[in-house]
Amino acid sequence: MSKRSTPTEGNGVPPAAGQSPATELQRSEFVVRKERLYGWLIASCAVLTILVTVGIIAALSGKAIVFWTEISPVTFFTGTEWSPIINNAYGVLPLVSGTLIVTLCSALIALPIGLAAAIYLSEYASERARSVLKPALEILAGVPTVIYGYMALVYITPLFQGVLPLSVQLVPPSIPLVPEFTLTVPALQTFNVLSASIVVGIMIIPMVSSISEDALRAVPDSLRQAGYGLGSTKFDVSTKIVVPAATSGIVASYVLAISRAIGETMAVTMAMGMSPQMPHFPNVLDNLAVSSQTITAAMVQIAGADSLGHGPTYEAMFALGLTLFCITLSMNMMAELIRRHFREVYE
Amino acid sequence: MASGGASVDRLHGSTDVRLERLKGRLFEIALVAATLVGIVSLVVLFGYIAFDTFQPLTASIQWYLIYIGTLVTPTAAFTLYARRHPPIREANAKAFAVIGGALLVSLVTYIVADALDPYDVLLYVLFGAIPPAVIGAYARRSPDRTYTGPAVVVSTLVGIALAAGLYGVLRPIVGIIAQWVAYVGIVTLPVGAIVAQSVSRRWSLRRAALAVALVLVGTLAVAVGALVAGIEPSLPVVLFSGAVVPIGYVVGDTVANEPEGRIGVLGPFVLIGSVALGAFIERSVGVQGPESYLTPSLLLNSWHGRNAFEAGIYPQLVGSIVIVGFMSLLAFPVAIGAAVYLEEYVSDSGWRGRLATLLEVNISNLAGVPSVVYGLLGLALFRNTLGFGTGVVIAAAGTLGFLILPIVIVSAQEALRSVPDSLRQAAYGMGASRWQTLRTVVIPEAFPGILTGTILALARAIGETAPLVIIAVATTTYTSPDGLFSTAAALPLQIFAARSHPDPAFRHGIVPATAVVLLILMLMMNTTAILLRNRYDRDTHE
Amino acid sequence: MSEHERTQTQPSTVDAESTVGEDEQSTGARTVIEARDVSVYYGQEQALQDVDLEIPRRQVTAIIGPSGCGKSTFLRCINRMNDLVDAARVDGRLRFDGTDVYGPEVDPVALRRRVGMVFQHPNPFPKSIYDNVAYGLRIHGRTDELDERVERALQRAALFEEVSDQLEKSALALSGGQQQRLCIARCLAVDPEIILMDEPASALDPVATSKIEDLIESLAEEYTVIIVTHNMQQAARISDQTAVFLTGGELAEYDDTDTIFEDPDSQRVEDYITGKFG
Repeated sequence: MSKRSTPTEGNGVPPAAGQSPATELQRSEFVVRKERLYGWLIASCAVLTILVTVGIIAALSGKAIVFWTEISPVTFFTGTEWSPIINNAYGVLPLVSGTLIVTLCSALIALPIGLAAAIYLSEYASERARSVLKPALEILAGVPTVIYGYMALVYITPLFQGVLPLSVQLVPPSIPLVPEFTLTVPALQTFNVLSASIVVGIMIIPMVSSISEDALRAVPDSLRQAGYGLGSTKFDVSTKIVVPAATSGIVASYVLAISRAIGETMAVTMAMGMSPQMPHFPNVLDNLAVSSQTITAAMVQIAGADSLGHGPTYEAMFALGLTLFCITLSMNMMAELIRRHFREVYE
Repeated sequence: MASGGASVDRLHGSTDVRLERLKGRLFEIALVAATLVGIVSLVVLFGYIAFDTFQPLTASIQWYLIYIGTLVTPTAAFTLYARRHPPIREANAKAFAVIGGALLVSLVTYIVADALDPYDVLLYVLFGAIPPAVIGAYARRSPDRTYTGPAVVVSTLVGIALAAGLYGVLRPIVGIIAQWVAYVGIVTLPVGAIVAQSVSRRWSLRRAALAVALVLVGTLAVAVGALVAGIEPSLPVVLFSGAVVPIGYVVGDTVANEPEGRIGVLGPFVLIGSVALGAFIERSVGVQGPESYLTPSLLLNSWHGRNAFEAGIYPQLVGSIVIVGFMSLLAFPVAIGAAVYLEEYVSDSGWRGRLATLLEVNISNLAGVPSVVYGLLGLALFRNTLGFGTGVVIAAAGTLGFLILPIVIVSAQEALRSVPDSLRQAAYGMGASRWQTLRTVVIPEAFPGILTGTILALARAIGETAPLVIIAVATTTYTSPDGLFSTAAALPLQIFAARSHPDPAFRHGIVPATAVVLLILMLMMNTTAILLRNRYDRDTHE
Repeated sequence: MSEHERTQTQPSTVDAESTVGEDEQSTGARTVIEARDVSVYYGQEQALQDVDLEIPRRQVTAIIGPSGCGKSTFLRCINRMNDLVDAARVDGRLRFDGTDVYGPEVDPVALRRRVGMVFQHPNPFPKSIYDNVAYGLRIHGRTDELDERVERALQRAALFEEVSDQLEKSALALSGGQQQRLCIARCLAVDPEIILMDEPASALDPVATSKIEDLIESLAEEYTVIIVTHNMQQAARISDQTAVFLTGGELAEYDDTDTIFEDPDSQRVEDYITGKFG
């Protein structure tokens, strides 16, 4: 049972006239009132946090609703052209596509690496190694995202441009019956999705590794001992016992990291440019090489260009914000539900 | 009893087992590689930035040799020597901490006061700080302290309100004194008060008076000296009172009272001396140094659109400091209050318990909201609803404040939670009320943890860009912000704005240099926080 | 043997020594704590069952019993430390000098300034020795003659000699036994009327324990001491009255210490004392 020390203060009837509080079982009224006031002040600090949420929702919805009365939500959610300033086109799908591609690629980088790092830190690493590597990984999350964006634009893109375009013959023509297949990685444009995905991937590794590591460490040692007792190797125990036992925590970390990638702004704005487009289909890798735009980058573009403070473009920014907010909020709540499910399994 | 060779084989080295072992080792190597890949990539990228900033290849071999001789060798030797003797290491750490901290605080004070107008600052300091200080000193003597708390708060607020209300009358009066005298009021007086406090507690009141007199006389001497030399005395005055005095006090105290470790205080001086020596040799011999973009002029000049070597980020530097400073004033009290409420005032059952759960769920949701959305909140609140103007300091400070609120609340909660319950029981058993327990036992005990959390939040805030872009903070300003409602500027925004500048000297020179400045600031803050955490952990494990 | 016999609520020896000048009609003058039908529930679980008890002034009353029988719970009712536990509910009446401790006009904070508590594990504040002892005085706003009061409290707690030259040192640097005496000194400094002790020596070594026991005996001259202990020999050594609680929060017997240990009324108490269970 919880034994938090939270006394209920006495109160009420002040000391009768003539009796000094010191020998009575009461304190002076001024002190009691003063401390109650302090209590209210402190409580109001906490309530302020609710006001922040209310403020966010109000701020976003206010202008977003105005926007959706001017531009129909159907056009917004199904339109395939986003060109607010030039063409008055407010279709959000290119932005969603851009966001999804970046998120997918960065997840492909971060999720396996993060999980691997978590397994290493939790199961294999010595205390000394852990004490060095864990903070080192945290640094990855601490670097300002502008700097990541800058590094992507100025260092990573030129690096890849030196190597690409690249043609790899996966299936040479000499094999009968199987059609020839050449994998062509196209040349990179200056602003491209690949560099952006790489830095976002690096940036979210610590989210995956830190939360997954907590989940792995929370697996009771008795399970590991059982495995070793049956003659399993460390590899078996780690991959077949510990990781499956920590699945909910790992999945929760994945969801949180993806949510973070969706909300990332500066790195993608700087590295990806401002050419929203729908995905290219036959040659999937083309999508990595071209410039695109995410929801967040579109918001930044509007903010930078628009100084009027009203009009459909300005309001579109809020509509995008509301969309983004709903997506990330639902993902975070999903992660929390997954985590809670995990907690129940062990207690 | 094993039945001969076959079982022995199964216990030791059959091929299956060897394969398993190989697989296991390969797996471990893969894991290590994965763990390192992110770190190594980041290091490589940082290497690029450093390379572009400092241009190491443009320096001649002689330059490197000079500095290896004058800087690297003595410092390395001293460090190796200090490592072996713990008291020396302690003294060394203390010296570095006080020198770094004092220099930092006095420089930041000077920069901010200079940007905002020293006379205004002096006015608010006099009216807002002196009444509570007097009340505090009086309260120390008197037995009944129930009224002290409210009295201090009320007097501060009244003082500030008075200063604001009578500003029109008071400002011209205050404006008569020389600028450096204003700085004496802002820096020397508080420093003197602190020194007096410390000395009177450790020795006697008479010594305290003597110490204060020394500080004042010294400051005046510095001012006079500067005037004679034809330099504006403000900065020397600030540096003397804000840096030299505390450094002298702490270093002198260590030298006098710690015979074993006193050599340790030489550490920072060895470092500074060797750099100075190296610079002297470099200049007199005329050796080619690196054409680094990170120069003092970068830090002191304003932005210049065309000439990279004259471009500076001073307004952005000041802007970041001012924004983050105001943000702290706004956000930290609220965040700590909320954490205290959630940890100390709330029960687990009843409607209070449900409220607490709601609050905590809300806070963890807020922590996951993307920073752009906070930008929109700031835009809607400060520009649309309150009409404060576009991209002003207070809007930036408020927006960032909302952003870091959940982070600080969570870390403060953890710090409060780490205070053992037995201490609270002891206090309540003694007849302390909840507020008294908080004030005398819980918060002092949790304070280092709370401080660590706030410093980390500061480091996060100073690097945030997206919200500032959304609230339209200016990306090219030529002057530092001079008040709450002036246009703001910020370091990370400068990186964003200049990233595609046509001139490669900007793109590959000034921008990485700005990035390095930002990273150094964050590194300093993170290091401070980590050192604090380690020191605090060590203290509680005794 | 009847399971629920109501045992006498007042020790017999007290009648024999009637102090001259004391009002013999009101036993209230000699009784400082009076408990009537006190029951405590933690949620659904009942920790104390209808306890009736009168604790006399300026004597050492011991409360013994097997673990989990509600001894500490009862102790914490007296200074309302049970208020700190969310799910605790207290029924019945508990009077301190005639005033109902759970009445609306009683401020628990003020109550705890007259009823002090020493805990099982020494819990000095992470401050200096001086500041620990001065703590209560400072928060009660009684800061005159601080030095003298601190010294007096340390003397009273038989600790002054050992620490007189290091009052500024951290309290955490003291040994376990010294820390517990410091906690007692801290408690004494505010001059409480009652001192509650929850197994004060159970975390200490035998030498430190015996010092604490001597201290308790000397304290009884000025203060009312109520001590919870699982150590029966300790109770037999230092207390004037003993209350025996048994599992379930039931007060089985309450009498003079000698009577309890040599000739208890209840068979279950006798079984407990002779070690047949608990």
